[in-house]
Amino acid sequence: MIGRTLGRTLAVAGLALASTALVALPAIAQSEEKTIVGGFDVGPGGFQGNFNPLTATAGFTWLNTYYEPLVTYTADLSRLKGELAGEYTASDDLTTFTFKLADAVWHDGEPFTSADVKYTFDLAMNPESGSIFAARLADVVSVETPDEKTAVVTLKGPNGGFLSTITQLMMLPEHELASKPAAELAQSDWWSTTPVGTGPFKFVQYASDQFVELEAFDDYRDGRPQVDKLINRYFANPAAAVAALRAGEIQFTYAEADDAQSFEDAEGFTVIPGDSFVLNYIGFNHRTELWNDVRVRQAVMHAIDRDTIIETLYNGAAKKAECNYVAPQYVPDDLIDYSYDPEKARTLLAEAGWEEINGGQELPWLTYYNSPQVANIMAAVQAMLADVGVNVAPRVVDVPTYNGIVRGDDVSQFPLVYAGAGNGPNPAQHNINLNSEQVPPNGNNIMHISLPELDTALASAMSEADPSQMDARWQEVCRVVNEQMPWGSMWVASRYGIASDSLEDFVWTPAPGGGPFEMNPEAWDIEP
Amino acid sequence: MLRYIASRAGTGLFLLLALSVLIFIMLRLTPGDPIDAYINPTIPIGAADLAALRERLGLDQPLPVQYFAWLAAALSGDFGYSIQRGGVPVLPLVLSRVGPTVLLMFTAIAISIVVGVSAGIISAVRKNKASDVGLSIVSFLGVSSPAFLTGLLGLYAFSVLLRWFPSGGMLTPGRPYSSLDLLYHLILPATLLSIAQGALIMRYMRGSLLEVLSQDYVRTARAKGVREFWVVVKHAVRNALLPVITLIGSTIGGAIGGAIFIESVFNWPGMGLLMINAVTSRDYSVIMCATLLTGASVILVNLLTDIAYAAVDPRIRNA
Repeated sequence: MIGRTLGRTLAVAGLALASTALVALPAIAQSEEKTIVGGFDVGPGGFQGNFNPLTATAGFTWLNTYYEPLVTYTADLSRLKGELAGEYTASDDLTTFTFKLADAVWHDGEPFTSADVKYTFDLAMNPESGSIFAARLADVVSVETPDEKTAVVTLKGPNGGFLSTITQLMMLPEHELASKPAAELAQSDWWSTTPVGTGPFKFVQYASDQFVELEAFDDYRDGRPQVDKLINRYFANPAAAVAALRAGEIQFTYAEADDAQSFEDAEGFTVIPGDSFVLNYIGFNHRTELWNDVRVRQAVMHAIDRDTIIETLYNGAAKKAECNYVAPQYVPDDLIDYSYDPEKARTLLAEAGWEEINGGQELPWLTYYNSPQVANIMAAVQAMLADVGVNVAPRVVDVPTYNGIVRGDDVSQFPLVYAGAGNGPNPAQHNINLNSEQVPPNGNNIMHISLPELDTALASAMSEADPSQMDARWQEVCRVVNEQMPWGSMWVASRYGIASDSLEDFVWTPAPGGGPFEMNPEAWDIEP
Repeated sequence: MLRYIASRAGTGLFLLLALSVLIFIMLRLTPGDPIDAYINPTIPIGAADLAALRERLGLDQPLPVQYFAWLAAALSGDFGYSIQRGGVPVLPLVLSRVGPTVLLMFTAIAISIVVGVSAGIISAVRKNKASDVGLSIVSFLGVSSPAFLTGLLGLYAFSVLLRWFPSGGMLTPGRPYSSLDLLYHLILPATLLSIAQGALIMRYMRGSLLEVLSQDYVRTARAKGVREFWVVVKHAVRNALLPVITLIGSTIGGAIGGAIFIESVFNWPGMGLLMINAVTSRDYSVIMCATLLTGASVILVNLLTDIAYAAVDPRIRNA
């Protein structure tokens, strides 16, 4: 009797819960506004919780929906084009850049002028503002404003990478920010409460750790956006975002390779593949004496069956790298082919005297990659290296631990790393990783690579002012890297986004750091 | 009595200070700092830029200098700014997360009590029958399922497959606030969080009720001709509930642990999610404030308990 009564009560309670879902769902789903919800900051190109473009190391896909740079990349990341600079020209010696500004207005109705350009450059070059552009813009001598719609930037010397650098420099409104001291701006809540940009969408609100909401900017220079709202939902990881996509709550997210594969035959979704522009490499710590002999580094290359790894563990979705680039214009034809040849690897190791250098001693192999896919890859490489007599033990740590270790002095903790380095679309990016002048504290050459031939090739490419010679200069860098193997270039994997088929004219590519690139968010639409 | 309270409060404050030193040192011993967490390793950023950031945040100062600067500010109520959240003041941030966690936890506890006690009664009354065996199996599964597992399975079943509930968050993005919307987002994580505790309560309730049902006074009640319903509800359940109430109190700590997992799985904006994000991004100021707030709550509750004991038992305050 009592059991039955309680059982009925529980059943009724369960029904009440289920009915809440059924009642609540349609009530909440009702809306006449066109809204696109996506996980725009999910994955390696995203940066959830960062609103300040001057301190952003990633997240530019989202930032570019309400801020805009002077120039941006095309959607295939193959070339640059003007954004807030309707037109731009560079002097022959690549030291003076003139920007003719578009007729844009800020979200508060004020006109966008050359004074805003000058203010943004000054702020970005001031380390007090917390800007991470200060060192990269150190060669800017002046920013002149001959008239309201013209800005002229002069550099100390030729810099072929300058325009690429400023694709991530979002223009900021002088009239809003100039009254605040630079040091205060770094900690201002302006960025996450009342930011003003020139992009197609206006900032509405940030619900902490939940979502960011934007609304259409009616006065956008290329016309009012097709949708009324654009929402960036936050997720703890890509898997959670994929679950929300499957549940129909969002229309777009970045996805890991395994998840992307599961969507290949799924109805109602489109998988968007793209180059990661991240070279995965086996980093040799040049502060140890283990890798001094180039034959040891070359032996590591010959010991690894990269074709099989790409075919089986990447399902073919990666490009083998024979140097630090895979983009065809930077890769010459006459490179050494590091095909899988364990016998050759053993011979090279024997010639270099590996037995005396290290022998069978186990070496820690540090990485910050913690996906199951990379765990399998590292296990496969570990077995292949062991086969030729190089014993490594993978060690996975989180990003801050990794950065803390590799920027520290205890080299015994990282004689070898497995990491990634952005290798495009700007080829000059690698200078900061490979040039001996860029050893910390100057740059990001954390493996302390110091190869004179490579330094010369990099310096020559960096200072090349003749556009017709640029590709050849970077090919020379590629050739030296291929011969010297300052790090073991492995592959450039594909990355994926998944979009609901309800989206129309949606443009996205897995750009490094999220871009920016020409994605035209004002044209994005969604089926009712 | 006043002297006793002052002495206990003094001990509490000392503990809080010791806790702050301990957390501060442990954080600095953890590999990587907030700037290391800030950098995407694939993005080429020069060490000079990073050094400038460290200098601006004072992370290049000696540890004692950093600690006393933090302590001096904290004593005046300024817990600083979140390093990773671009200028968000820490104290309001941490306090804003208390409400969602309390809401999630107490809803889960309420569900676990109602379901656990009811299922325990059914199981005991129908001992060895199909419903008892079925509920026992379910409760064993519930007790042995960690929160992150039930969280992920529940998310997949009820959000992805059935689409009954949202997959995360506390409110639907872009919609005006409504209590119905909040409830819609709350039900699934709260129910999943309640499973382990509800199952435990059910096991205790069943065992406790079975013991009570075999007592002489229950037999006497039956012999007097009292209907079985009233025998159970009036005579047995009330007594059987006593050990269960003790259990509920002692398992709230476990519920907090479970809430951290569930908040992470469902992106519920509570203290758990805040702490996980702060730890993975080495957001020192947020970790310090959140941990101290939690520590202060525990110390305060203990202080109040000590005072209550002392109030009822003079031997304690004179000891």
